[in-house]
Order: sequence, then C-alpha cells, then structure tokens
Amino acid sequence: MTTTRSASSGHRVTWWQRLPLHAVVIAVVVLWSIPTLGLLVSSFREPSAIASSGWWQAFTHPDQLTLANYERVLGEQGMGRAFVNSLLITVPATVLVILVAAHAAYALAWMRFPARGLIFLVIVGLLVVPLETTLIPVLRLFSHTTIERELPLLGGNVFGTASYTGMWLAHAGYGLPFAVFLLRNFFVSLPRDLVEAAHLDGASDLQVFWRVILPLSLPAIAALAIFQFLWVWNDLLIALVLLGDPTLAPMTLKITNLVSSFGTSYQVLTAAAFLSMALPLVVFFAFQRFFVQGMLAGAVKG
Amino acid sequence: MAGIVFDRVTKAFGDSLAVREFSLEVVDGEFLVLVGPSGCGKSTTLRMLAGLDEITSGTISIGGREVNSVAAKDRDIAMVFQTYALYPHMSVFDNMAFGLKLRGVPRSDIQQRVQQAAALLGIEELLRRKPGQLSGGQRQRVALGRAIVREPAAFLLDEPLSNLDAKLRVQTRAEISRLHQRLGTTFVYVTHDQVEAMTMATRIAVMNEGVLQQVGSPQELYDRPTNVFVAGFIGSPAMNVFEGTVRREGERLVVAGDGLEVEVPPERADSFAPLEGRALTFGMRPEHIHDPAYVPAGIVPALLDADVDITELMGNETFLHLQRGSTALLARVDPRTGARAGSRTSVVMDLTHLRAFDAATGLAVPLEVPATV
Repeated sequence: MTTTRSASSGHRVTWWQRLPLHAVVIAVVVLWSIPTLGLLVSSFREPSAIASSGWWQAFTHPDQLTLANYERVLGEQGMGRAFVNSLLITVPATVLVILVAAHAAYALAWMRFPARGLIFLVIVGLLVVPLETTLIPVLRLFSHTTIERELPLLGGNVFGTASYTGMWLAHAGYGLPFAVFLLRNFFVSLPRDLVEAAHLDGASDLQVFWRVILPLSLPAIAALAIFQFLWVWNDLLIALVLLGDPTLAPMTLKITNLVSSFGTSYQVLTAAAFLSMALPLVVFFAFQRFFVQGMLAGAVKG
Repeated sequence: MAGIVFDRVTKAFGDSLAVREFSLEVVDGEFLVLVGPSGCGKSTTLRMLAGLDEITSGTISIGGREVNSVAAKDRDIAMVFQTYALYPHMSVFDNMAFGLKLRGVPRSDIQQRVQQAAALLGIEELLRRKPGQLSGGQRQRVALGRAIVREPAAFLLDEPLSNLDAKLRVQTRAEISRLHQRLGTTFVYVTHDQVEAMTMATRIAVMNEGVLQQVGSPQELYDRPTNVFVAGFIGSPAMNVFEGTVRREGERLVVAGDGLEVEVPPERADSFAPLEGRALTFGMRPEHIHDPAYVPAGIVPALLDADVDITELMGNETFLHLQRGSTALLARVDPRTGARAGSRTSVVMDLTHLRAFDAATGLAVPLEVPATV
C-alpha cells in the first residue's frame, strides 16, 4: 500500500476518498463505449427490430437476436474476401515499415556518416506533407509503371494500380517518416555504453542492431506495429484511389460500397462495420501494455 | 598480450583540444593508471585506445600494430565501463558469452571459459540471472567476467569502481589487482581517484587539461613530482603548497612565505643557496611536519610557530590544521601531541623533504639532497 500513502503526511488514502475519481473514470469509459456497444448489439438484431425499437431493447427481448446478418455479409456480400484482402494489405505493409524504419533509425541514431542530421531532418519534415496532396502524383506514377500480369498466389497485378505490391509500397511510404522518427528517438535514448560494449565484443553494426538494440526496443516496435496496423487497416482513401480492382478491395472499401447499395439496411452495415473493428480490437488488447510503454518511450525519452 | 604505444596523440572536439600531443609507452603486462581531475582527457584517451573515439592526429599502436584505422571490434581489447554496460535482456552467462559467440568460438569452449571466469570471480551461482537481478558489486564482476573470457591483448577499465559504495570499492580494488597479477595482461585503468591510482598501479600517468604531466611509479610520483599540479594531486591529504622565496638574512638563510619564515639549517644551506631571490612555490607533505616532542631521528629540523585552527584525531595520527599569516598548513603528527585548537604551537618541518617549484612555470626545481640522508 505504499503507493497510496502520501509521503509528506503519512496520510493513507482510503477507498471512499478515491471513489469520486473512479466514478468519473467509469462514467467516461461507459459514455465512450456506448456507440460501439450499440453497433455490436444492432449487428445481431433483425431488420424489423432495428426499424421499430432502440438497440437497448435487445436486452429485454433476447429472442430478437440473430446471426443472419453476419451470414449474409460474409457470404453474399463478399466481406469474407474483403477481410482476407485487408489482411493481405495490412500485414506486409506493417512488417515492411517496421523493418525498413528500424534499420534506418539505427543508422540515424548510432552510425556516423556525413549529413546524418540533415537526412533525419528531411525525414521528419515529410511528416508535415499532407497525404492528400501526394495521391494524384502517386497514382500517375503507378499507372505509368503498372505491370499487368497476375501476381502468383495473391492475385492482382504484379505492380502499379490494382496490385497488392503497390499498396504495400504506398502504405510503407506514408508510414515511414513517423516510424523512423519514433524509433530513432527511442534508439537514441538507449545507453551509448551498450552499443559500444557490443562493438568491443566484436559485433558489427548489423549484429548490434539485431542482438542488442532490437530486443531492447520491443515496446517501441510493438507500439509502432499497432499504429501502423491500425492506419493501414482503417485506410479507405489510399485504397479508393490506387486500387481500382474491386476483387482486391479491403473491408473499408467494401463497407463504403455497401453503404451506397444498402444505405438503409442497417443490419448489414452494422455487421460489416463490426467485422472491420474486430481485428484491430484484438490487436490492441493483445499489445496494449506495449502500446502504453511505447507511447511514453517515444514521447518522453525522445 | 601486448604493449601499447601512444605517439603524439591529439584529440580535438571542434576548436577545443581534449588531449594534446599525448605520448606514452605502456609496457606489456603493466598496470597503468591514467589519473587526473574530471575533464582532463583521461577517458577520451582511453576511448581513442578502444577505438570508440577517432584520433585527430598522432598514432596508437597495440602490440606493434598501428590501430588508428582499425575498428574497435578488431583491436583485440576488452573494456569495462563505469556503467557496466551489461546487456539487460541477456542472462549473465549470455552476457559473458556474447563476444565469444560473435567470434565463432565452439560452444564447448564457450561453456568452459565462462565457467572458469565465473569461478575466478565467484559468480557461478549468478550465471542464469539477468543483470537487473544483481547488486552493483555483482554487476561489476559480470562486467569484469565479460572482459576476461575474451582473453584480450589488453584490458581497458573506465572508472569501474565509481558506482560502488566505499567498502565494496576497497574490496574490488584488491580483487582487480589480484586479477592483474593472475592474468599478467596489460591493464589500462582510468580513474579520478588518486588513492585507486596509488594502490593499484605499476605506473601512474597523471593528466591535466589534456596534457600528460608525469609518468612514473606511485612512489616516484609521490616523492618526486615534476610540477605543482602532480604534487598537489597525488597524496592524501594533499601536499602543503605555499608561495615564497629563499632569502639571506646576515649569516642565516631562510625560506620565507607569506607570514611564514623557516630558517634553513646549516647542513642544507648549500642546496638552498642557489635558489636565493627566485620566486618559488614550496611544497611539503603533511607527514613531514612534526610535533617537536615526537620528532623522528635523522631529519633536518626547522622550527616554526603557528596557530592551531582545528585538530582532527584519527586514532593512529592527528591532523593539525595550522595557520601562519595567510598560509594554511596541514600537519600529520603523533597522536600524543599536546597541540590544542585555538592555541599557538611549535612544529618542526623536515626540510629534507621540502620541494621547490618555479612560481611561474610550476616545474620542479631540484634541491640537492645530501648523500647522508
């Protein structure tokens, strides 16, 4: 109980004194969660029930609940395929960003070479470039360099528009400045002596990176992985502009299309929307410990 | 094993020179201590030797091979850092084995060498633990162990004891000395603590403001400092230093400082006479100022009256803080002394051990000591 004891007075904070704070925190959490809860409950209700009563009524009429919405969305509407597409775009784009950014960040933090500071400055400068201004140039570049042959295993073009590889590159490009910034600042905060000791032990820069820096940077890398995963998973704009081929469409794009064709069929939309949220929720809860640590690491130590 | 040669090594950070024209030969198997106040360039010198800092000019050779452009990992040296720099995610065993693994040493050899080093340092039970679960002293041993298993040509130690508490420091000091005797490898040890330097070194190199002041055995530095800085730095408590001159008053020759006058006994007059009239800085170690009642035999006594400011009883000796004019002196006298704080007392200076330095340059001025002493 030492943490709840005030050092100056030795006064013990009792549970009823903490009650107001806890009440406020719980109230905020509940308020914040209500829309998501509503979405979740609605996705299990029949269309007639949604049209005639509020979602909270489901708690008193559990007989109205059904899995039919999910069956329909996953089957007829191709959300299953879209889910796979989302994964095929998001996972490689996340891994790519982390790999490239971590190597670059190590070099910018620990290796000595000319114009190191300038290069880092330029990378950080790229953070202020609005993504929207780059879409047309990137699209033009992709449409000029498209290789219209089918990519083995995954499908889509080999490169350019309507290709997974194009999506990976685009997302990597947009994600890298922040990733390099975050990781470089974390790496720099690690003790210099560790890097020097490893060099004296006979490690090359690559070995120092893989065997000393990387294991010690897992919190920062986990945080970055969550960020990048969520960005790519939730992205609609880049997919909308660069993808073109509906068979490659990720869930966000699919839901947008559902909205235009099923604008009033809330039961379909809510099920689709919840599906798209499910994986990010799992990822977030699995790594939330790292997430908080990594946020602190990037923000405070950097 | 290898000797190390610094040849006019200079290190500049921008416009400021951290190390200037540093030349020194470290003999194979020697325990050399680089000592000096903080910011004197001793750590920079060590880092250049390790290959962690680039050399601005001059050359460093290890075992006859110039290493200026050799990467740190290829210099065959091991370093113990002040912060220990243990890899926090690895066990003690893996910390010690890391360098061997990278060098492709066979697994069975690694096992054997780590076990041997652990036995030598008494850390066999800790091999499975992580550094975070160890005390400061244990971490220190692991850091030493990591250096030992490599069997390097030379050990570099950068203030390895400064994060330990006083008792552990004394203990580890002795252990490092023992380790050096056992391994017989070249040790280069950096510290700002002159006691560590005196107790451990084969030879000491004193640095100040990036310049090497003097190199020699601990006794040599203590007895014959080449300048005022070394005189004041080596020895604890520090040498008494006061400005003054040698003056002739009729037949007598006196050493005169500010408010302080000591007659030179006739048997030492010959060595002091050549210094007459010169602006000097005099130095005398506290143990060469005695209580008149307990003067050892065979010294050249010169009597001096002074006010006793404070007395510090240490048990086996007593420190007298004396004041004469504006000159403060510290005397290390017999504990049976009758001198009391606030009173005036007489003390005896042993002029055999008076050192003289040129006031302008700070360099030692030889005072010929009679062959009989």
